[in-house]
Amino acid sequence: MKPPIVKPLLEAQGVKKTYRLGQTSVPVLHDASLTVAQGEWVAIVGSSGSGKSTLLHLLGGLDRADKDSGPISFDGEDLRAFSPARENLYRNRDVGFVFQFYHLLPELTVLENAMLPSLVGLSRLAWLTGRRAELRDRAAELLETCGLGHRLKHRPAELSGGERQRVAIARALINKPKVLLADEPTGNLDVRTGGGILDLLAERQAGGLTMVMVTHDQSVAARAHRQVKIVDGRVA
Amino acid sequence: MYAPLLANRYLTSRIIPLIAVGAVALCVALVIIVVSVMSGFLDMVRNSGKTLIGDVVVSYPISGIPYYDELIKEIEALPETAAASPIVETLGLLRMPYGTMETTQVPGEPGRSEQSIRGRVEFVHVWGIEPESLERVAGYYDKLYWRKPSDEVAKGLAPDDPRLDPYYQRDEQGKTLRSTRDRDGIVLGIEISPYNKRTRDGSYRTRGPSGAQDPDYFMPDLPTTLTLVPISSNAKLGEDQSRELDIVNEIQSGVFTIDSQRVLVPIKVTQEMLKLDEAPFADPSKRDANGRPMIVGTTPARATTIVVRARDGVRSEDLLAAVERAYASFSARMRADPTRTLLPPPIDRTNIETWEQRLVDLIGPVQKERELMRTLFSIVYIVCAALVLAIFWAIVQEKTRDIGILRAVGASRVGILWIFLRYGLLIGIVGSLVGVLLAWVIVVRLNDIHELIGMPASTPVKVTAWVAAALALVMLVRGLRRASALQTVCWTFGFAALSVIAFSLLDYQGYMVWDPAVYYFTRIPSEVDWDTVRTTVAGGILFSVIGAAIPAARAADTDPVQSLRYE
Repeated sequence: MKPPIVKPLLEAQGVKKTYRLGQTSVPVLHDASLTVAQGEWVAIVGSSGSGKSTLLHLLGGLDRADKDSGPISFDGEDLRAFSPARENLYRNRDVGFVFQFYHLLPELTVLENAMLPSLVGLSRLAWLTGRRAELRDRAAELLETCGLGHRLKHRPAELSGGERQRVAIARALINKPKVLLADEPTGNLDVRTGGGILDLLAERQAGGLTMVMVTHDQSVAARAHRQVKIVDGRVA
Repeated sequence: MYAPLLANRYLTSRIIPLIAVGAVALCVALVIIVVSVMSGFLDMVRNSGKTLIGDVVVSYPISGIPYYDELIKEIEALPETAAASPIVETLGLLRMPYGTMETTQVPGEPGRSEQSIRGRVEFVHVWGIEPESLERVAGYYDKLYWRKPSDEVAKGLAPDDPRLDPYYQRDEQGKTLRSTRDRDGIVLGIEISPYNKRTRDGSYRTRGPSGAQDPDYFMPDLPTTLTLVPISSNAKLGEDQSRELDIVNEIQSGVFTIDSQRVLVPIKVTQEMLKLDEAPFADPSKRDANGRPMIVGTTPARATTIVVRARDGVRSEDLLAAVERAYASFSARMRADPTRTLLPPPIDRTNIETWEQRLVDLIGPVQKERELMRTLFSIVYIVCAALVLAIFWAIVQEKTRDIGILRAVGASRVGILWIFLRYGLLIGIVGSLVGVLLAWVIVVRLNDIHELIGMPASTPVKVTAWVAAALALVMLVRGLRRASALQTVCWTFGFAALSVIAFSLLDYQGYMVWDPAVYYFTRIPSEVDWDTVRTTVAGGILFSVIGAAIPAARAADTDPVQSLRYE
């Protein structure tokens, strides 16, 4: 059931992105536009190399669009006007990323991986005043809800693919972001495990989380409220 | 606050940073060990050299300083002075009581011959001394070698040490410079006689030509002939003077150049032989009843050198200034007194130096060598920085994806830079501290290590080496059978190294790098130079951070999208 659109949270208008490969310019996105409402679950679908992941990175402030590109705005703020510090804060607080290959830090435990964004955003003063314990409790609680309460001290190498992705989801959610950006979150998992991950994401989304998910799997996309198809760098 | 967590985890959960820590530790340890040993050696040379000359030396060679006893009184009255002693220094020839046996024809008696020893002649640096005052200035009695050892020292001596034998204990003769035959004595530097053989523990044995210990080659009371040539103040050589002196003892100062050339005799002997003693003063303008120049007084005895010891807590430089003032006053007073028949040299023609200035020829080269070593080994810092740079470059390459993840969760470029700088700082600190510990253990135990490698290999050591080589061979074969390149290469090197060691130990008789029978000091300096430790640790940390800075900046510049795409 599609929820009523309240107001646009993420908005891209006429976004362009070109990569340079040596002397060659490779245009990836041409005038791609997308509006994501607060609390909406949008699936971006398209063939391999169509620019899905690039659009997701631009929305998440991981990459910058071309100079002649149209704006990308979050909650009314133009990302192009962000200072480097605001851009870091945006990635740390406002959005959370989930990647296909989990991207956990192998030296850290499950708990520490989940805490990482909160540690990045933690000031020295907050550290000294004991906020770290509070963050630890929150991460442990979040991991418990992700079904990993018994794995807190394990290293990523000791976990299954599904468990690793759950840790990645807990990490993405630790700072209570408004938007979750997921790039093929089930792409590296079998159907059953992938289904479990989707259930977990759907559960979170149902709690009001806005979610943009890149996938080329139609069955996964079908669970979103809305599907957006990208063909040759344009939203079809 | 993620940087400390990650820096610590990177440091403790990987082998690469341990290699970096090891590299820094070895560099730091190398510098500390080399400079500490050189500094220790320099201190030994300085202390040994100082022991016979006190803190300040006043000298006027050849003609000497007249009325020196008055000068000494004035110097000893200074609040900075503990004691002063006169010396007459010169060069001479010493005919020893040993040499080659010669057979000569008896003159006028064909067919008859006689045998005699043709004494070997040594070129020596002669000091005429007053033993008592030199004892107060420079601890002369302690330098006498053939003394009765204290009970405590005696316990530490080898059973065959001659000093345990009363025959060799010649304390009194050395202190008075009089032989048991009540003749003027001479004390020789312990290295002058070739029959004094230094052993590995630094003590001496008197061994004759056969190599066996032979008391006959310890030469107390045997006569030597000292020949000196007086030189006038206008540099004309006088008639050579020879005098027979009995050997009464030997000295060991700790400086080879002194112990192989210096001889000590009573000051009166040198003054008489060099015409520096008190003598009648004749006025050529007046004639006595016999028509000869009239004796109108006496010329005073002279000393070429006065050695002065500072009171405890007084610096040599302060004593120097005080002695200079005292000498200027003494010289002016003597010159103003018309009854003085001989005038002391003015202060600008007299050498007044601290012991360090006096020994500059001895200390200077060692000091220069130490600084050269310090400079050369400082190149190690650059090696340290290059090693850290290379290792960090590899670490950043390996951690590219981590950097992307951190950027994705909001880490700033400065934050990423700081992780790797902190990582470099940690490696510098840990590596330097390990290096200091390693250097401390090696320097403190240097003589034990040296003795260990100086001993012939024992049978258990040889067997262990062969067993280890055999095990390495087994592991090598195992690696080959498993087709493991890593195991094969590692165990090939291991087997080769252990085989070489095992073969070498078969006929190993010990190797003394610092053989006290050859080098003069008996022990390798084994004190850590803490000033060097401080500068080396600072250098190790600084260059580790410098080495980490370039890879850290590269990490900060890493494009997160590119790094996350990598899989």
